[in-house]
Amino acid sequence: MSNFLNLLAAGLTSGGIYGIFGACLAVWFRVCNVLNLAVGDFAMIGAIATAKLVQDFGLPFWLSIVIAVVGAGLVAWVFDRVVLHFAFDRGVGAHGIVSVFFYTFGLSLLLEGTARAVWGTDVFGAPAIWSGPALPIADFHVQRAGVLVIGLAIISGLLLWAYLRFTVSGRAASACGESVLGSRIVGINSGLFRRRIFVGTAVLAALFGIVESPLSGFTFMSGPTISLIGVVAAGFSAFRKPGRAVLVGLAIGVAEAMLGGYVSTSYNDVLLYAVLFGIIIFRPEVLGLRAEPA
Amino acid sequence: MTTSTTGTAARPAAVPALEVDGLSVSYGKFVAVESVSFTVGAGECVAVIGPNGHGKSSMVTAVAGLVRRGGTVRVFGETLPTGSPGAAVKTGLVLVPERRHLYPDLTTRDNIMLGSYSHTRRVWARQAWEDVSSVLEMFPELTRLLDQNAGTLSGGQQQMVALARAMAAKPRVLLLDEPCLGLAEAVSRRVYEWLGEMTKTDMTILLVEENPVHALIVADRAVRMYKGLVEQPGVAA
Repeated sequence: MSNFLNLLAAGLTSGGIYGIFGACLAVWFRVCNVLNLAVGDFAMIGAIATAKLVQDFGLPFWLSIVIAVVGAGLVAWVFDRVVLHFAFDRGVGAHGIVSVFFYTFGLSLLLEGTARAVWGTDVFGAPAIWSGPALPIADFHVQRAGVLVIGLAIISGLLLWAYLRFTVSGRAASACGESVLGSRIVGINSGLFRRRIFVGTAVLAALFGIVESPLSGFTFMSGPTISLIGVVAAGFSAFRKPGRAVLVGLAIGVAEAMLGGYVSTSYNDVLLYAVLFGIIIFRPEVLGLRAEPA
Repeated sequence: MTTSTTGTAARPAAVPALEVDGLSVSYGKFVAVESVSFTVGAGECVAVIGPNGHGKSSMVTAVAGLVRRGGTVRVFGETLPTGSPGAAVKTGLVLVPERRHLYPDLTTRDNIMLGSYSHTRRVWARQAWEDVSSVLEMFPELTRLLDQNAGTLSGGQQQMVALARAMAAKPRVLLLDEPCLGLAEAVSRRVYEWLGEMTKTDMTILLVEENPVHALIVADRAVRMYKGLVEQPGVAA
């Protein structure tokens, strides 16, 4: 029983990460119909920058967090102004399916390469925000960082859900993804919403990277894996519902942990890609694909 | 070449509701609208008629700030910046576009409520809706459809939602681009009944319509666009 509960706790922890990145992908896709394949790289920036600022520059931990999170947001803002603004607001460059993934895929490669050049290939982990031994609950133990991850994932998912469902601004953000022209007609600045949510999710991703990094550590190439799993979680939410993306992420994390614990850790990736194939075959519409009539 | 029309203003006012001066629109090398000038008096309903592909929609979308233009557009004397639909809406110039451009996965209620986006100070969608729900008095048939996604409505119902969304924006100048395009005759009649009611208010209306028979039912006068130019003035019968 304790093995099951320990696996459950570990699964919920990794699932919280998947879920929050799925939520970040879903909310941004909802606004501008573009996949943010660099979302995991913002987590990598947050985690490694915080670790380096504390270890190499001796800055206070909380100041390092602020600098890392603001830095991630700044990178996102600059990328929006320099690339996305021209691509989507000015109509410069490629459009259609290319724009759905290519710009952020390019950003992911750019950030990965820069991180490797600047920080090298070592594994980094930011200091724990909530340090101390694992918390004993009944006869199993939960890492404190894991509790933070699960809690922040649930709170973030709930806040994003409430924003989209109950506020005028959230409805306006949704309208941008439904019809850019329709939103502009009523005075909604679709470019501003795209930028705000891109920067906001970059900041959120960086914060989660910092919180989670004591558990798993980050290298320059951690981002794409996180983004990919986020795509799966977001896919099951039709790339529209961040709250559901968090729940799906938690479910994927638990399934992965159980399979790893009771069958083999080798099956983790098998499960992940089976889920991806399942989406492509049975729910192609959530990936923006349409099944051809037989 | 600049062609101005003065027509017969039904209700002339000191400051025109809408002044378009030397407006031009180009898509690359293709000139869709060439140096068009006209004015619409406060409370007037002016129809822009002409065959398809001669610049009517380009002209009206440029007036609304949705495409970049040359020339000047003034609303009650206030000059609008080019390519800024938000500024146009804030002055009270509101467009009901061709093909409506609703938000298909949002409810009818949200579609209408978002019409008030540029002037609402509300944070919560429910409160913003309460502020504009009175527009349903003009479109009572939408009451039972409020919780239905706009994409699932019929063409006629969607047109009503588009009109209601525009009314939620509190327009002083309403631009209507082919409001009956693709609608059944009975639905078109309903749209024109509503437009007839609006012409009795102090709202200024610029109506783009391919069908002059439709347009002249409600318009005080008409201008004709041909090959990107406003060609001639006309007066409704």
